[in-house]
Amino acid sequence: MWKFILRRFLVMIPQLFLLSLIVFMMAKAMPGDALSGQEINPRANPAELDRIREELGLNDPWYQQYARWATNAVQGDFGISYTHKTPVTDVIEDRLWNTVFLAFVTLIFTYMLAIPLGILSGRYNDTWIDKSVTGYSYLGFGTPIFIFALIMLFIFGFALDWFPSGGSVDSKVEEGTLAYFVSKINHVILPALSTALIATTSTIQYLRNEIIDNKIKDYVRTARSKGVPESNVYSRHILRNSFLPIAAFLGYEITGLIGGSVIIETIFSYPGLGQLFLSSVSLRDFSVVTAIVMMTGFATLLGTLLSDIILSAVDPRIRIE
Amino acid sequence: MKIKGYVKVLSALAISSLLLAACSDDTEKSSTNEKKGRTVEQVDASKFPTKTTNQGEPIKGGHLTYGLVSDTPFEGILNKVFYQGDPDNQVITFFDEDLLDTDENYVFTNDGAASYEISDDKKTVTLTIKDNVNWQDGKPVTGADLEYAYLVMGSKDYKGVRYDEQMALIEGMEEYHAGKADSISGIKADGKKITFTFKKANPSVTTGLWTYPLHKEYLKDVPIADLESSDKIRKNPIGFGPFKVKKIVQGEAVEFEAFEGYHRGAPKLDSVTLKVVNPSVAVKSLENGDIDVASISADQYDQAKALDNVELLGKVDLAYTYIGFKFGHYDAKKSENIMDNPKFEDKRLRQAMAYAINNKEVGEKMYKGLRFPANSVITPNFKYNNKDVKPYEYNAKKAKELLDEAGFVDTNNDGLREDKDGKEFKINFASMSGGDIAEPLARYYIQQWRDVGLDVELLDGRLHEFNSFYDLLKKDNEDVDIYQAAWGVASDPDPSGLWSRSAAFNYTRWVNDKNDELLAKGISEDAFDDQYRIDTYNEWQELIHEEVPIIPTLFRYTTTGVNKRVSGYDYLAERQYKWFNVGVTEEAK
Repeated sequence: MWKFILRRFLVMIPQLFLLSLIVFMMAKAMPGDALSGQEINPRANPAELDRIREELGLNDPWYQQYARWATNAVQGDFGISYTHKTPVTDVIEDRLWNTVFLAFVTLIFTYMLAIPLGILSGRYNDTWIDKSVTGYSYLGFGTPIFIFALIMLFIFGFALDWFPSGGSVDSKVEEGTLAYFVSKINHVILPALSTALIATTSTIQYLRNEIIDNKIKDYVRTARSKGVPESNVYSRHILRNSFLPIAAFLGYEITGLIGGSVIIETIFSYPGLGQLFLSSVSLRDFSVVTAIVMMTGFATLLGTLLSDIILSAVDPRIRIE
Repeated sequence: MKIKGYVKVLSALAISSLLLAACSDDTEKSSTNEKKGRTVEQVDASKFPTKTTNQGEPIKGGHLTYGLVSDTPFEGILNKVFYQGDPDNQVITFFDEDLLDTDENYVFTNDGAASYEISDDKKTVTLTIKDNVNWQDGKPVTGADLEYAYLVMGSKDYKGVRYDEQMALIEGMEEYHAGKADSISGIKADGKKITFTFKKANPSVTTGLWTYPLHKEYLKDVPIADLESSDKIRKNPIGFGPFKVKKIVQGEAVEFEAFEGYHRGAPKLDSVTLKVVNPSVAVKSLENGDIDVASISADQYDQAKALDNVELLGKVDLAYTYIGFKFGHYDAKKSENIMDNPKFEDKRLRQAMAYAINNKEVGEKMYKGLRFPANSVITPNFKYNNKDVKPYEYNAKKAKELLDEAGFVDTNNDGLREDKDGKEFKINFASMSGGDIAEPLARYYIQQWRDVGLDVELLDGRLHEFNSFYDLLKKDNEDVDIYQAAWGVASDPDPSGLWSRSAAFNYTRWVNDKNDELLAKGISEDAFDDQYRIDTYNEWQELIHEEVPIIPTLFRYTTTGVNKRVSGYDYLAERQYKWFNVGVTEEAK
């Protein structure tokens, strides 16, 4: 097991190296740079802009820029963001906790909704309960998030006024107090719920199908024939086995959420990574773009590994050697 | 201090608001140019009120919420020397300002934090800062603070883009910039006074001098290279404007409190909250009173008009949209525009293309009246705009006549005109993506040109993304024949930066001797005489109108919604007067 994990980590090194190379070259292939989309003062001597480019090393050939960037990146220094005028790690850190918090709450909501619904729908398959749950999950699958989030915002943010309509925290509360924490939670509920309500489909359907499959398996029949009460059959036998794929997907789910959601962040004016990534691309803020891609790339590799480990831990049939 | 010069107007990109100074079509947000002045009467100023009508007495302890309409967070570089994006600038206007105020034509006045005098030979400018002008930590604002701003911007460690050619006109500035001197010989600071000596007289000094100081005592410990990322700029900025920064929630909100020692008198509001609001909910937030002030985009204009609790204010923006013809290329080595592409050399062809398009209709139908035909490339909020020059009015018949006259006739009966030698005449039109209107607008123009028999096609059959678009122009890509773009202009009327023989931003690459001569006259010593300058620029605009190197297409209104409980808000007087005078006459609901 430990050997396996170590080996996976070692494989990540060339993977990340390749990723960085590709991202770097693609970023450089985009027309324009951080200075070209900015306000440009035509009275400024073009030499002055060139001086800044020279200073920032933007005029060097790409492999030199790459070598310089890679050397620093290995030491945890991803350079300075030209747009934000501050180290990339600071820019990302500011947003990262917002994104992680939102992602975490979203994940909790998703499971809180999807697991009971999936169980109900699997246990009572082909009844009206199952049909309405399946109907809901297909509706969620087909609903575009940007419409749904706006509708949620207008109902709960404006019409009913239950939740704040944007931002990640009330700017009036003091940092570190209980009120601050409550305000953070209050701000995250609506965006998280908007995502969760329509992100449940896959979990519900996996769970439902697994339960239906397991219901007719031999071990269940054995348990029933031995007189195990029906509720125990579900909670002890069927559920445990049905959760396997869900548990395995947990790793992927986490990485998917870390990337941040551009749409949700934009609609709720919630400063997170997704939005930062998009705006950095259009402003050609390369240092931020490459750093975020590397980070999500790393998170994806880690998530895959995590999924494998979880799977082997919960399913004794799978052994990693 | 205004940001001088021009700004590419981004007619694209949902996230445009981040781009410094770029005005985006979809948000109608105006660019960086902080000096919006009073609109000149002739320009349909009646279309929108510019002041709130609430005459009530402001309540004590009033609080206002300002909506910074943007789909991205603000970066938080809270200083005019360093900031990049317009959202940051909106934050700065609450707590800091320039030393000199300007009048409706963006010319400096003596009403602000400082007064100025120009010497008889026009080469020396002296600023005297008023005695009661203090930083928010109680220290006086001095000449040395303004000098420090120049020392920072001229330093080799400064990575911003504010160092410009006018600064280079100050004696000793170039030497300092090159690292040959430790100070700038043309700047002398003494207590509350500061004197600038220029190498040559230039009338732009009365509109274009940088007068935004840096708090030297507070900032001097931070190395210049680290200033932009320091907490003293980003988290605890100190200005001398009407409000103090109390608390910043990075990227999303700022809490301000009144600065009692403000030099124009204590502000009428006790506190202000600024928060980022997504454009799609701005109108809704105005309606339910979450925010009191917010800019309104064209898409939301109809919704906003219907609100009972909000007044809609508007003004003409400092920007124009245009269609440019490509005449040649830029020789970067010689820093010179070379006109070597004869495709559009016949001005009758250019005029015909101007007559063929109906901008009045575009403004009224597509932009719901928020845009109107442009008569010139000097925006109508300046007295320098030549009112006698009229926009090219839609006239298909005249366009056809001009084309016939110029020898562009249909020789093979395919419904499209051939060129003078009877060869096929295809025109590639480049236009930017972004906003809902970009594509229909480009197609509409193409259709109208085809109606008069010109074979115009969209370059590559599609719109181009902002960066790619300007990359095509900058590199003089040969596939581009004509293009649609926009410029945000600054408070200084001198158009040299976009039009001179040496200007890299002269994307059409049009050069003309008369043009060179008039541009030089406009910034000569004689031009300190205003009438002389007006006459010069009038003549210049007639030249542009006649030669049509570009077709100016549209000017734009920018609009903002203000809750009716707000008093004293003047949309036109922009920055300097805006916030200390604003009050609220009742509590928010």
